[in-house]
Amino acid sequence: MKVTFPHLGSMHIFCKAIAETAGIPYIVPPETSRKTLTLGVLHSNECICLPFKMILGNFIEALQMGADTIVMVGSGPPCRLGLYDLVQKVILEDMGLHYRWLTIPPRLTWQAIWKNHEETKELRKELSARNIFLFPYGLWMGWKKMMACEALEQLAMKVRPIEIKRGETQKRLKKALSWVDEAKTPRVLEEAIQKGKALLQEMEQDRSRIPFKVAIIGELYTVMDPHINRGVEQKLGELGVEVTRTSWFSTHIMRSLRKNKADQTSERTRFFEASKAYLGYDVGAECNVSVGEAILRSKEGYDGVVHLMPFACMPETTASGILTKVGKDWDIPILTLILDEQEIEGRIQTLLEAFVEMLEWKRRAA
Amino acid sequence: MEEKGRLGIPRALMFYRYFPFWRSFFERLGWKVMVSDGVRQKEKIVYFEDSCLPMKLLVTHAMQLKEKVDHLFIPRLVSIHRTYIMCPKFRGAPDIVRLATERKVSIIDETIDLRKGGISLLQSFLRIGERLGASRQESKKAFREAEQSFSQFQKGWTDRINRLPTRQLFEMDIATPPAGRKAPLRVAFIGHPYNLFDIDINKDLLALTKSLGMEIITSDFLSEQEIDREVSGLSKEIYWSSGREIVGSLFHFLSGGVDGVVFLTSFKCGIDALLQEFIKRRLKVRGGSSIPLLILSLDEHTGREGLTTRLEAFQDVVEQRKTENI
Repeated sequence: MKVTFPHLGSMHIFCKAIAETAGIPYIVPPETSRKTLTLGVLHSNECICLPFKMILGNFIEALQMGADTIVMVGSGPPCRLGLYDLVQKVILEDMGLHYRWLTIPPRLTWQAIWKNHEETKELRKELSARNIFLFPYGLWMGWKKMMACEALEQLAMKVRPIEIKRGETQKRLKKALSWVDEAKTPRVLEEAIQKGKALLQEMEQDRSRIPFKVAIIGELYTVMDPHINRGVEQKLGELGVEVTRTSWFSTHIMRSLRKNKADQTSERTRFFEASKAYLGYDVGAECNVSVGEAILRSKEGYDGVVHLMPFACMPETTASGILTKVGKDWDIPILTLILDEQEIEGRIQTLLEAFVEMLEWKRRAA
Repeated sequence: MEEKGRLGIPRALMFYRYFPFWRSFFERLGWKVMVSDGVRQKEKIVYFEDSCLPMKLLVTHAMQLKEKVDHLFIPRLVSIHRTYIMCPKFRGAPDIVRLATERKVSIIDETIDLRKGGISLLQSFLRIGERLGASRQESKKAFREAEQSFSQFQKGWTDRINRLPTRQLFEMDIATPPAGRKAPLRVAFIGHPYNLFDIDINKDLLALTKSLGMEIITSDFLSEQEIDREVSGLSKEIYWSSGREIVGSLFHFLSGGVDGVVFLTSFKCGIDALLQEFIKRRLKVRGGSSIPLLILSLDEHTGREGLTTRLEAFQDVVEQRKTENI
């Protein structure tokens, strides 16, 4: 048995840590590249959303490298994410690739647990007692690593706009993330985190600069994965913008476990409540949160909002229609970037430069 | 009964299934029902958001009506089935229209969610009646009567499709003419009802089909069990009611009983895009079907000429197969 999982953002570090610690053989798909995307595009059609294509490409590459068991986080209605596995399975089958599929249920209902039990019946025979015994420890390590990655990324978002040598933050962040990824024991991991944080903090910084504050909102995969959004976060940072985002893997995992009820009142619920001025119902996925976050960010004095969505994404299309009005009503610049497989990195750079320039005029006029 | 005012229903989306029901209900409450006209030219389409054509047409039709009526009826269709749901865009549709019309017209956007149980539809319509100033008794009576006339209407549906011009399908006052000559070919048309019956979307493909000597049947013709049989064994439940209907009826028709199958999709329809891939792949994996399948993707740039060519070619294939099989 060789397990594989999507490469998405820093999620592969999380999955890899679990497998590694529990001693389960795994294959990390190669870093998402042009080739990954081409594979995904070739085996789907133009109106299927970009995350679908990226994940499909990851799976094809991993299966070709010898993986045989796919682990995928499931999701539910109403958006298409919930049916990714149904369609991807038949595509892989049609391509003649052999695989076994394991869906991690998005919500722990009895039905989901039963289905998971059915799917893992065969797999469990291949796991040794040691694997099963170590699994909870693996989960703990994975969680620790994920939190570490997120903390490092958040730190990078803070220092990137005031870096003196452009691109230095990204280089250091990559190094720090790889330390976290490579750590095998809790002690080494703790050291890696401290070392990584120090690496970012000790970088040469120009503290006299006042960065713009911009929130990145939108569909969660496009927000979280730099390959899908072509590094919007990094590009904005290097243009002198301090970026904030509320979509992280941990927030979505916590949300599906319904663990952070208290935390919800502070963030997502707050955004959701704010969206009610425009939306009379929960449209699904991140739609309402996107609308609400744009409104509240304007109230909090942010300079602008960047809204990311895959082409033809169902809930976010509704959100983008509403956001044009929100931008006018609340006097906050909103840039919607619709992402698909086309080579648009250069265009995104130009759009972001123009956006930041506009923020500068706005600041000067104020 | 004196007229209470004018109520506008945009000729878009689920108008193409439930209009007879809605109309009976509102007329029995004493409202004059106004329906928007067609769009005809694509220059007239209002691009408020970058959605699929059916959604853009909803906004366009609402804009046509907004000054002529006292209320616009755009229900928030969350679910029209006891288990399955609608496309997420339907949930935000009234809000989109409200912003596009700059909040200048009253919109009746009562939520309809049949997952909540047997009488939730009645309750939704009681609330709608309440907003229009009708008493519970009046609304209840109107609902029951509308229900009756709607089920009457549905009985003759397949005949109506084949014998009436597409524009008149939903005009309850127009009776179905007697049957003419029997068409030599039977073709199943699959897709969201608005893709099938909105002539602004499909350039009246149905009329063209009929003129080519094909009899049309749709998934309305199938029972829920027949659809369920095709989709219940899937590794994951398709949770959109329209998606289930499309996949189920497509597999059903491709297994026999018709001479050809046509699947109409809207460009940018999320459900259709994903399920289309699923359908194609599954047919390949399962060894396919000998019944010809035509998939047409429609948007505002679709021309009648292009559709005609493809449909004629499809007819040739269907005919050829039929003669070979005899």
